[in-house]
Amino acid sequence: MTADVRGLVIVALALGQAVLLAVLAPYVLGLTRAVRARLEGRAGGRLGQPWRDLRKLLRKGPTSPADASLVFVAAPPVLMATSIVVAGAAPFVATASVAGRADLIVVVGLLLLGTVALALAGLDTGTAFGGMGASREMTIAALVEPTLLLSVFALSVRVGSTDLATIVSAGATDPASVFTPASALAAAALAIATLAEGGRIPVDNPSTHLELTMVHEAMVLEYSGRDLALVEWASSLRLTILLGLLANLFVPWGVATALTPIGVLIGAAVFVVKVGLLAVALAVGEVFTAKLRLFRVPELLAGSFALALLAVLAAAVLG
Amino acid sequence: MTRSDWLEQAINLACGLLLLTAVGALWRREVSALIPILSVQGIALTAIAALLASEHPAGAEAVVVAVLVGALKVVVIPLLLRRVHRLVPGARETRPLVNVASSLLAAAGLSLLAYAAAGPLIDASPSPTARATPVGLALVLIGFFVAATRQRAVSQIVGLLLVDNGIAATAFLATDGVPLIVELGVSADLVLAVLVLQVLTARMVRTFGDGDLDDLRELHD
Amino acid sequence: MELALFGPVAAPVAGAVLAATLPRRVAAWTSVLAAAGLLAAGIALATGTVSRPPGTAPLHGVSVADGLLRADALTAWLVTAVGAVATVACWASVHHLDDQARAGELPKGSARRYLVLVQLFLACMSVAVLASNVGLFWVAVEATTVVTAFLVGHQRTRASIEAAWKYVVLCSVGVGIAFLGTICVYAAAIATAPDTAGARAALDWTYLSEHGAQLDPSLMRLSAGLILLGFGTKAGLAPMHAWLPDAHSQAPAPVSALMSGVLLSVAFYGILRYKSIFDAALGPGYVRTLLLIAALGSLALAAVLLIGQRDYKRLLAYSSIEHMGLIALGTAIGGRLALAAVLLHILGHGLAKAVAFCGAGQLLHRTGSPLIAEVRGALSSAPTAAALLGVAVVALLGLPPFALFASELALARAGFAAGLGWAVALAFVLVLAAFAAIVRHAAGMLLGSTVDPLTVDAEQPPHRPRPGLRWVPLVLGLIAAAALGVWLGPLQSLLDSAALIAAEGTR
Repeated sequence: MTADVRGLVIVALALGQAVLLAVLAPYVLGLTRAVRARLEGRAGGRLGQPWRDLRKLLRKGPTSPADASLVFVAAPPVLMATSIVVAGAAPFVATASVAGRADLIVVVGLLLLGTVALALAGLDTGTAFGGMGASREMTIAALVEPTLLLSVFALSVRVGSTDLATIVSAGATDPASVFTPASALAAAALAIATLAEGGRIPVDNPSTHLELTMVHEAMVLEYSGRDLALVEWASSLRLTILLGLLANLFVPWGVATALTPIGVLIGAAVFVVKVGLLAVALAVGEVFTAKLRLFRVPELLAGSFALALLAVLAAAVLG
Repeated sequence: MTRSDWLEQAINLACGLLLLTAVGALWRREVSALIPILSVQGIALTAIAALLASEHPAGAEAVVVAVLVGALKVVVIPLLLRRVHRLVPGARETRPLVNVASSLLAAAGLSLLAYAAAGPLIDASPSPTARATPVGLALVLIGFFVAATRQRAVSQIVGLLLVDNGIAATAFLATDGVPLIVELGVSADLVLAVLVLQVLTARMVRTFGDGDLDDLRELHD
Repeated sequence: MELALFGPVAAPVAGAVLAATLPRRVAAWTSVLAAAGLLAAGIALATGTVSRPPGTAPLHGVSVADGLLRADALTAWLVTAVGAVATVACWASVHHLDDQARAGELPKGSARRYLVLVQLFLACMSVAVLASNVGLFWVAVEATTVVTAFLVGHQRTRASIEAAWKYVVLCSVGVGIAFLGTICVYAAAIATAPDTAGARAALDWTYLSEHGAQLDPSLMRLSAGLILLGFGTKAGLAPMHAWLPDAHSQAPAPVSALMSGVLLSVAFYGILRYKSIFDAALGPGYVRTLLLIAALGSLALAAVLLIGQRDYKRLLAYSSIEHMGLIALGTAIGGRLALAAVLLHILGHGLAKAVAFCGAGQLLHRTGSPLIAEVRGALSSAPTAAALLGVAVVALLGLPPFALFASELALARAGFAAGLGWAVALAFVLVLAAFAAIVRHAAGMLLGSTVDPLTVDAEQPPHRPRPGLRWVPLVLGLIAAAALGVWLGPLQSLLDSAALIAAEGTR
């Protein structure tokens, strides 16, 4: 195909991927809740319950605290926007469409931008819980971002480029490179970082109602209506993005490496299956683990940082 | 893959396991968790020794060394450690000199130091596995760190054993293993040292009531 | 001649076997015989390995047991030193155990364990000195740590358990560093000739000396640092000396005599042999700098910490650190004169320190207190023990006619000749400070009248030890130290040959 047509196809693919993830995200959340409920012996909500909650919230009008400024109002759109961009640009369904555009550092930077926006909004509310949630979130983020960068960097050492698409397609074409000590260590580090960044147990309990134990929820206590819908949607989207990265970096088979219609369809289907399986694994893990006390969280994150650094060392030394 | 590729992959996996267990030794608070970690390290070391023995020109001696290493580090030492641990069961590192988060960061730093310091060893050594020598040195440095910052008797013994495992790993990776007679002597010394420390721990628990090394502060200037 | 090589190991092992089976008093005297046997074997080795005419190239050493054990003049000198100090210490042990038994401090089986462990300790030190192979040397040095652990913790007090724990952990860590250095040396050795990989020969002192110039410099720099750090821990050099004062003050006096007198020197012997190898690979500057730092550091530390000492056995332990610092200084200076001074210092210090510790042990038994402040006017209350301790301290201070005076003088001469006058001057200023501290404490303990006669009588043990034989080993040791300071006699050629080997490498 010509360069123009190819360009149009790539844009369409990116938009399609973003839409796919945006639609999928609440279902992923619903799946984790359903699995967890079943394991705990409850009936639980249906898979589509998060979508119904979103629809209900979108119909309602938002309110803001009297002392809040533009930051409070702007944070949900910024969060959603950065998440959508990453959803469209990272190699989830196909690598060919995003080659050269999905640099590791850009992706991590965009995710961090969303985190910071929400933390600032939490501070902007002027309430005690907002400030508490914001400070806890930034403490966790300070340890998680280096881990994210280092663990994916360990994979990039072998490939020679920090472009995520290159890493994923290198893994898809050469299976032996996936079973190395470096990728095992990086997988462990990235898994812990995913849990921390996505606000799941053992770092943060998303379904708690006790404000003093909240990290993420405390920042969004003042949001309501459309703003709350955006924030909730963006959170589930970010979790899906992280799970998707985890799946595609370490189990890269099934991703479309060439721009054929069949390949893209297969890529999408395989991606949905992989994320679904990871969501189930996440839910099972959550049932059997307890949330860590807050002063223990830095230990866990330092451990994952050490693992990530060892992964880089292993990649350099053990090849 | 050719046989030597497969061999190299296997050795790399064993080295990765060594690194992972080294970090694990710093991470867990319960002293009882250190013993399985040491056993896993022993298995990884035995695997390295056995894999190298299969390629060694002077086959028989190398196989004996591998068997010796396996018997010592997977069976004997964990057994002795369990006996020491039974003296003070339920021991936990509640007040290490450096807290867990900082220890883990320090371990990462020490691994980088090991990588920098291993340069001369890698350059001088003719064997193909020499590239992985930083793993052994990292294990040695982390072992020193554990011995220096931990307050419980069993943790210091584990630190010493980590140092010894690291030195053994360096010996295997950089030089294909030391001669048999030296290996015999080193193993005998190690077993005796652990036995001695076991008896001393028993005396300590009897006299001071606990395996906490913070009680040992009567002698100073 | 070949049989004489087995002597230094066989005699203590036989002594250990006998000590395990015979009753206490007989076993104790047998151990003295074993130590004397060690000394005799050392003298036999000396006659066999010295070069004639003196000052020419040393004889190639003699090896036995498939080349595992090897002896040349340097070995013979050290075996003689071990034998001499061992005789003094074992003889003093006999009376030490008697005193303990009489005071009721000797639990069942404790004496037997003590005697067996001391003999095994002597055997390990002999193996270390006779080892032809760097790996075997390391194994023997680590074995001495393991064997002496229970000797240090012999008295089951809180302080001795603490001392034993610190001793085992710190020395194991240090010796572990030395093993890492040994592996680096091995890696360098097999890199020069890959067909020797796996062969024991690559670790022999002779092989390493011959191929010293071909060993990779950066790897040898790394190994030199590790070896000095590691064996320096066992030799008590700063900054790895932390275990020494505790271990040497808590151990029973004859054991402290052995540890301070010869164990430190045996560990340093390894550094001596390694030095010529490192100098061949790196040039003389690198190891000289490292040794100078260690030497001056030890001297400074000892001088400062001697001032405020409260326990007289700890005082003697810090004096050992000071003397090891002087030995390290002599090794740093290098050359035949300095190394001859070092070897004489090893022998002289061994004898004087052994007598000092044994005398201190006797004083501890008479007065019941290890603290300097509680021992006053010892010359009037415990005349012989105090007098012998006093003379031994005079010997340790480096006063004539004792051997340490001669060795320190030779060291100074060699230092100025080699252009290291500043280091020697600084070292002797520190030695002077240590001198003043020791004299002050010793004079306070020995001179003057006793404290309140009532309390002295109340604490006096209900018996006075029978005079006679118990002072003989100490007197003999002091006579030997004095004689060596004046005239070496037949030992002169041995010293020359040994110094030549230390300076130019093992052939």
